[in-house]
Amino acid sequence: MRLADDPEVDAFRAEFAAFLDAHLPAEAEARERSRSSAHVPDWARRWQRTLFDAGWLLPGQPAEFGGRDATLPQQLAHLEELAHRRIYHSFNPQGLGIIAASLITFGTAEQKRRWAVPILRAEITAALGMSEPEAGSDLASLRTRAVLDGGTFTVDGQKIWTSGAHDADVLLAFVRTDPDAPRHQGISALLIPTAAEGVVRRPFGSIAAEDDLDFNEVFLTDVRVPRENLVGPLNEGWRVANGSLGHERTLLWLSFAERLEDLVQDAADVGAGQEWYATLLMDLQALRLLGYRQLGPDRDPAELSVLKLLGSEAVQSASLHALEAHGTDALPHPARTGPYHHMNNEAFIASWFERYARSFAGTIAGGTSEIQRNIVAERILGLPR
Amino acid sequence: MEFELDEDQQLLRRTVRETVAKVRDRPGDQQWSTYRRLGWLEAPPFELTLILEELGYAADPTPFLATATWFAPLTGRLPDGSGTAVFDGTGRYVLDADRADEVALLTPDGVVVVPGAELAARRVPVLDANLHVAEVETGALAEGVPDLALTGLAATAVGACRRILDLSLEHVRRRVQFGRPLGSFQAVKHKAADMHVAIERARALTHFSALTIAEDDPRRTRAAHMAKAAAGECQRVVFRHGLQLFGAMGFTWENELQHHLKRAQACDLLLGTASAHRKALLAS
Repeated sequence: MRLADDPEVDAFRAEFAAFLDAHLPAEAEARERSRSSAHVPDWARRWQRTLFDAGWLLPGQPAEFGGRDATLPQQLAHLEELAHRRIYHSFNPQGLGIIAASLITFGTAEQKRRWAVPILRAEITAALGMSEPEAGSDLASLRTRAVLDGGTFTVDGQKIWTSGAHDADVLLAFVRTDPDAPRHQGISALLIPTAAEGVVRRPFGSIAAEDDLDFNEVFLTDVRVPRENLVGPLNEGWRVANGSLGHERTLLWLSFAERLEDLVQDAADVGAGQEWYATLLMDLQALRLLGYRQLGPDRDPAELSVLKLLGSEAVQSASLHALEAHGTDALPHPARTGPYHHMNNEAFIASWFERYARSFAGTIAGGTSEIQRNIVAERILGLPR
Repeated sequence: MEFELDEDQQLLRRTVRETVAKVRDRPGDQQWSTYRRLGWLEAPPFELTLILEELGYAADPTPFLATATWFAPLTGRLPDGSGTAVFDGTGRYVLDADRADEVALLTPDGVVVVPGAELAARRVPVLDANLHVAEVETGALAEGVPDLALTGLAATAVGACRRILDLSLEHVRRRVQFGRPLGSFQAVKHKAADMHVAIERARALTHFSALTIAEDDPRRTRAAHMAKAAAGECQRVVFRHGLQLFGAMGFTWENELQHHLKRAQACDLLLGTASAHRKALLAS
């Protein structure tokens, strides 16, 4: 145990900070806003490419994938540095953090060249097709079918909640390739170009606004996908799915720490002297400490559920307190509640109502709080299933 | 920062856990002499916190907490025998003042140490019958609660809460109703999970506080308020869910759960509740 960072981490952080100071796009250049999680304006594409070329995009990866073989604590420092400055390194976060990362782990050399690198260089964007109308928390019950005949899959089914699909060039979709196998065993991962015939995307508004279009329904009707688009072995999609999310999970808590840090700043005026504001400070500190601990060797992955529960519920609770503390001043919507920063996603400084409503993404997406509590009780505390 | 116990710290925790379990049923003075002989009172702040968590787990009846985290930080030395201190400006509800060999008083003119026998101290019956709490009659007092005293109470509360959770888990695994173990019901699981999260949160902040004391980091006072407040918040969740999950059994005098519920509750009440320390954090 010690408070100080490793000198190597400090040096790494300083180098990245200097890079950001020298290369951050100017505000005038960055006027066009991102409208969905797969819509990347031209200036943001150039920015992501700059990071890729300098090895600062995914520092944990080797140089060919926009990194520099950084250690986990260094990757944490990289993300913290971005968060402190409220900077986005990519406006296609799932493309970068889940889809490209999965292709690097599970993809063929050709898939890495053809899909992963272009996603990382922001030449194309990607969306993740997991949930279905009847498969939310229970992902293994997914029904979208893909039938392999010779060198081609024919895909039929429907995905939902597919963030950014209408702006994405390609989907990484999880499909059932063996209907007779046990639930977890008949699933495969397929790259489906959104321009393929039979792909229909229908974006729909969120609780924040009718024209806040990020979620999509994706209808797949007789979509023909070449076999070379299969990611990982046939019928081993469950492993890819776990791996995909695994990439994100170790540092997922950091996104909650980021939201908490934003709240510490943006709610400082109404929080002055309020006990809930003290709780917010404590939640942020505890989340960071437990997150750092998780970087150690041999940690139980189930402990990530503790971090997700703590982080997502702390964000929700503090957002509600901030909303209520504003009283009638929280009524205006849309409204801006934090400092404008051209490198930030504005959704997170939207009206207090929107910030509170968006906090439910944390307690629902990626395994609801109820599922996380089951995981803690069964896998950590050993209660019977 | 690195927030993992190193090998020595893990070894210490194991040793303390085993030793405490071994001497748990012996008379209090034998436990006290064992802890002293092992040099636990001399442990540096972080290691001391690990020891206190284990003593909290065992509802320790000795004057260890007051000696190590009340007397020692105020005087900069260990007492001859056991010790305690009066530093909250009141002389009311002083831990172990009725049985300490030496008592440190924080006065407007500085710290004065008096032999416990010379002090008019009256033990007050409190909710935790294993805890010695006394009223002290003395002259002018000043206020200046050491960070270590807050951290020590937080660590003790975390240990007590862990014990409550362990006992509750044992109970809900064993107890069968409606043909199923209680622990297989989701409503029960969710309470247990919330207890675990609260404990992890409070323990992390307690360890952080101990670390800032050990390294004399400028954040130490804020960290101590956070630790004490988090331990109090944790105690609230764990007390409520633990007693609820135990059902009627937890409500009896015979069941050992009561000792740990009371230790956890008393730790919150001593030297300021969670609410008081949330306010202190904002003011610091």
